[in-house]
Amino acid sequence: MPDALLQKLRTTVGAANVLTGVELSPYVVEGRTPEAAVFPGSIEEVAAVMVLASEVGSPVAPWGGGTAASVGMPAGRAGLVVVLSRLGRLLDHEPGDLTATVEAGMTVETFQAALGRRGQWLSLDPPDADRATVGGVLATNACGPRRHLYGTARDLLIGVTVVTADGSVVKGGGKVVKNVAGYDLPKLFIGSYGTLGVIVEATVKLRPLPEQEELVRVRFDRLKDAGAAVRAVAASDLIPNAVELLDGAAAVGAGLAAGSPPGGVLVVGFDGVREQVDWQRAELARLTGPLGGRDVRPLEAAAWSRLTPAARTAFPTPAATMALAVLPSQVAETMEQGAGIARGRGLSSAWAAHAGVGVVRGALASDPAPKDPAALAAVLAEWRELARAGGGHANLEWAPLAVKSQIAVWDDPGAAGRIMERIKAQLDPRNILNPGRFVAGI
Amino acid sequence: MSTLTDSRKRELRRELESIVGPGAVLSDPDELMVYESDGLTLFRALADFVVFPTSAQHVSAVVKLANRENLPFVARGAGTGLSGGCLPTEGGIVVSMMRMNRVLEVDYDNQIAVVEPGLVNLHLSWKVGPRGYYYAPDPSSQQACTIGGNIANNSGGPHTLKYGVTTNHVLGLEVVMPDGEIVWLGGKTREACGYDLAGVFVGSEGTFGIATRIVVRILRKPQAVKTVLAVFDAIDQASAAVSAIIARGLVPAAMEMIDQLTIQAVEDAFSCGYPRDADAALLIELDGLAVGMDVQAERIVEACRESGAREVRTARSEAERQLLWKGRKSAFGAYGRVSPAYMVMDGVIPRTKLPYVLRRVNEIVAASGLRVGNVFHAGDGNLHPNILYDPRKPGEEARVVAAGAEIMKVCADVGGSISGEHGIGLEKADFMPLIFSVADLALMQRLKSAFNPRGLCNPGKVFPTKKSCVEVGPVAYRPHAIEEKGLAQRF
Repeated sequence: MPDALLQKLRTTVGAANVLTGVELSPYVVEGRTPEAAVFPGSIEEVAAVMVLASEVGSPVAPWGGGTAASVGMPAGRAGLVVVLSRLGRLLDHEPGDLTATVEAGMTVETFQAALGRRGQWLSLDPPDADRATVGGVLATNACGPRRHLYGTARDLLIGVTVVTADGSVVKGGGKVVKNVAGYDLPKLFIGSYGTLGVIVEATVKLRPLPEQEELVRVRFDRLKDAGAAVRAVAASDLIPNAVELLDGAAAVGAGLAAGSPPGGVLVVGFDGVREQVDWQRAELARLTGPLGGRDVRPLEAAAWSRLTPAARTAFPTPAATMALAVLPSQVAETMEQGAGIARGRGLSSAWAAHAGVGVVRGALASDPAPKDPAALAAVLAEWRELARAGGGHANLEWAPLAVKSQIAVWDDPGAAGRIMERIKAQLDPRNILNPGRFVAGI
Repeated sequence: MSTLTDSRKRELRRELESIVGPGAVLSDPDELMVYESDGLTLFRALADFVVFPTSAQHVSAVVKLANRENLPFVARGAGTGLSGGCLPTEGGIVVSMMRMNRVLEVDYDNQIAVVEPGLVNLHLSWKVGPRGYYYAPDPSSQQACTIGGNIANNSGGPHTLKYGVTTNHVLGLEVVMPDGEIVWLGGKTREACGYDLAGVFVGSEGTFGIATRIVVRILRKPQAVKTVLAVFDAIDQASAAVSAIIARGLVPAAMEMIDQLTIQAVEDAFSCGYPRDADAALLIELDGLAVGMDVQAERIVEACRESGAREVRTARSEAERQLLWKGRKSAFGAYGRVSPAYMVMDGVIPRTKLPYVLRRVNEIVAASGLRVGNVFHAGDGNLHPNILYDPRKPGEEARVVAAGAEIMKVCADVGGSISGEHGIGLEKADFMPLIFSVADLALMQRLKSAFNPRGLCNPGKVFPTKKSCVEVGPVAYRPHAIEEKGLAQRF
């Protein structure tokens, strides 16, 4: 990096807010060290940094809590990491409006704590909430089990402020819960992995905290039967806020099943007033009993955060994890067939799913396993085909670079990929925002 | 106006017929008149052709022809839109989707349906109703409006308070792009692959392409429904009750406000059981599990009473519930009894600003020497002031438009939006700068360029014009062709 640029960055955000050299170790991704990490203290400073970066064509990686930094391909060239941690204020929370506006760098946990003090919450429960930031969660479209009832970021984000590659400060949406004025820019930036702009501020819809909430576990001898139970729950009068399906390995790893590993575990969440939770727990037992469900019991609240990463945490260090989007009715079969594919190549795997919405995660064990990236990539490619056969798709959530170089991280978006490329070219014509990290080479 | 010569027009008509078939092309000015406006009859424009495709291939071929001839084109559903969004602006082709109205697939296991865009909104709920399902977005025009039109405007409805608007129920779309290419955006699964293009497409007001298949979610009908009518002697009390209910941690399925003028119009027309002397009424609906419903209803009643309601009653039968909803959903029709015409506004404000903004709306309209009826989605702050006027009286229409502009400004000033569910279209395009900066609009233009680089797909909508307001303002009232033929009345 030219010294002149570094000097300008220091002038812009203050020398203490520009890190270089050994101080960059927290920002090393896949062994690649950025040239500098910059900590702007305001939206104007983010814009000024983007102007400087675009002048010299330096790549920029927006950075929240770094919890998803290794998702996707690393940038081909080293550049700037723009860390949002100094933009961490809650700007506005009006309980009567059920909305809040927050700076992107605030962690989800801090945000929820502030909202909770006034009886409300953002109905989004991504993993690593203590480190993940609001902006990062939006950029990566992270979520958790409660998406079953409350949806994902696309259902909650009503306004967004973004700094684009040329340093423009742009907002889309607004501060009201219903709004069709202009194009839906919040949808564009959700899940765009920092390739279209730096999210600096967000306005979200809130919900009142439920009076009661309970997570209930049901054990099954066969995963297939647990899958049938998922369908029975979907066709019932129950209104669960989570419907999770885990295979034996994931359930044991997540501490949801003591003793011998069950064939499958169904975990269902309920909220509402006391009698609603009680009635639904009883109804769940009534529905699942005839399908082979047994040992119906409430779990401790700490179990919530162990559900989303359950496949990955089944192994001390997984060799790779993949997220498959399939139809809800195909979840159990996908898990069984995926495990069969791994077994066929002598590998162990673990599976967990947001079953009600068809999001399945599979993790490959690294031990005992051939460390040959080609063998891992072959299994992952078959998993992807499994998802595609049912009209879905699959993305690599985590894998070593050696594996990523053999199988594309992101699934092929088909003809829509060309529209995505045109959007990227319109918004970031110099291709400096996370170049090459995302789908279709974007 | 059309740029085509008569002979060229005849040639193109033959070519269009070769694509969509004889009997599926209109070019006679008398027939085209039916398509010169939507539900907002202030704006009119005549197309060169209206075509009725029955497949995505038809749509694609028509769009390719339009590109070759450099003709603008616009998709049209039932024409119930309220912002002039589906008007042809400079001749060109109206692509009516009304013959693509099938339910192609219902997958109850996965709670999705694949439909064609010309399907009437309510018909989907009819189709899946016998199995215990329904399609949640319920615009007041749901007996006529199409799902494709709902996609264009990201339509809402009373029950969006709890269930969200159209975009929250659309998983994927097959789209004919503005260059004629057929592309899937999203699909049947819940996760986008790459950018959320389905999410970006919904609400793009027909400027990003023409949807030809739509994958929507269908929901299980709730086990129980409870409908409460709260009657107030002062509209401020009704506004306060909305906040009081939210403050108690309750999210009803719907929370609708109806003011005195509207109550009286509705009672004159339909006798739905609203007290004529009330200043305002709140229609509140809870749905969900049967167990616990009474506890929640009791809290609603409590919140209304504490806010000053003089009467709170619960519908005792499905018939009574339907009657109360009829009053709400027929309000627009009922205005026809008290005024020859009205213009409906669509501002959104933070809920807590309701008392202030309603006062301002009434002041603004009164100062214009006009009357206003308010019937709206109070729960999510989506106002629908209906300014009543007589288009035959010189100058009244201009005063309506001016009052409407002032109301939009009030909504913007309190941090709201100029449209909650009707869209920007032609009507509000010049008001976009009230809520968006030059940079915001420039980014939206760049997004549009990615989908619609030649700008032939529904030109002149959403973005402010560079012309003066005089040139783009509404034309003087004259009866719509179908009104003259006695086929419809103005709602």
